[in-house]
Amino acid sequence: MTAPDRHPPSHAADDTSALRPLPAYLEVPEPERFVRPRKRKPMLLKINVTSLIDVTFLLLVYFMIATSFTSSEEAYRTDIPSREGVGTADPFEIQDDPLRISVNSTGLAPDMYRLQIDGPYQQPSTFDDLYTFLSSRLVRADTTGGLFEPNHPIVIQPTRTTRWEHAMQAFNAAARARYTNVTFAKPG
Amino acid sequence: MSKRRKDPADLSANLTSLIDVTFLLIVFFVLVSKINEVERWQLELPSVRSPLSEKGESEHRVVINVIPAPAGRVSSYRVGLAEFAGDDAGLSSMTDHLAGLYQTSPSIDVNVRADRATHYEFVEPVLQAVSNAAHKSGAAGVNPRVNLVVTRGS
Repeated sequence: MTAPDRHPPSHAADDTSALRPLPAYLEVPEPERFVRPRKRKPMLLKINVTSLIDVTFLLLVYFMIATSFTSSEEAYRTDIPSREGVGTADPFEIQDDPLRISVNSTGLAPDMYRLQIDGPYQQPSTFDDLYTFLSSRLVRADTTGGLFEPNHPIVIQPTRTTRWEHAMQAFNAAARARYTNVTFAKPG
Repeated sequence: MSKRRKDPADLSANLTSLIDVTFLLIVFFVLVSKINEVERWQLELPSVRSPLSEKGESEHRVVINVIPAPAGRVSSYRVGLAEFAGDDAGLSSMTDHLAGLYQTSPSIDVNVRADRATHYEFVEPVLQAVSNAAHKSGAAGVNPRVNLVVTRGS
């Protein structure tokens, strides 16, 4: 009995037996390559802000349109007579009799009111008529005629239950007619 | 040899600062609209036609709001943030308050805002209170001036 042949067949370059696959018991697994552990990239959290920008611009446009920096209110500047000591008025000064305009609210509607002018004048039925009356009787420098000077005292006399808007409309009619001395009286 | 296609240019814009400025603008407009409401009580002011009134935004001004109640009555008077009852005691307190303001600043203007439906008997005492306050303050150079606030009608 001969000893088993311990020497495998040679693998010389010119040896044709190299083309044949090795038997299974001779197959040597390839050594594992050393792979450096790859650094994981941090997870990126993405937020799509497209719709956020759209809504933001809509809000901005809304507020720009809705916000009003100019006041829609206006005011009549009125000097309130300050109470001074008794006897300061000039006793020789002839006071003009003020033109009294009574204003009375007859109902809750804005057009329910009654006007009355003290004196032999045609009574106005509306605030526009009152304005026409006052304006036509204003003494002007460029025209002849006229009855009242611009500083002629005009007293608006509302009743206790006159609506504030009717009192202000009467005041406005006198102010529109360019009278400068318009006052309110105590409620009568 | 094939030509290599050029990638189209990638145009990107950094919108971070744009969003910041936009939010600042929004906060600004929200705050401004709130500030205007402090002095203005929600009232239906008298609306007059073709007024010769002025806009007059005075630096030193006090706003008196005549707070309406049903049936043309008044519930209270509000001077800035201070509120006074709508009766004689409230008017007296308001006069004292205005007198204090006149002492601090003799040249202040007083804006009177009243609802169009309020009865005149409740507004006239406010005008009288302003006159009394000016006299009571004793400050030199006080010329009580009242601005009667209206809105522009048609």
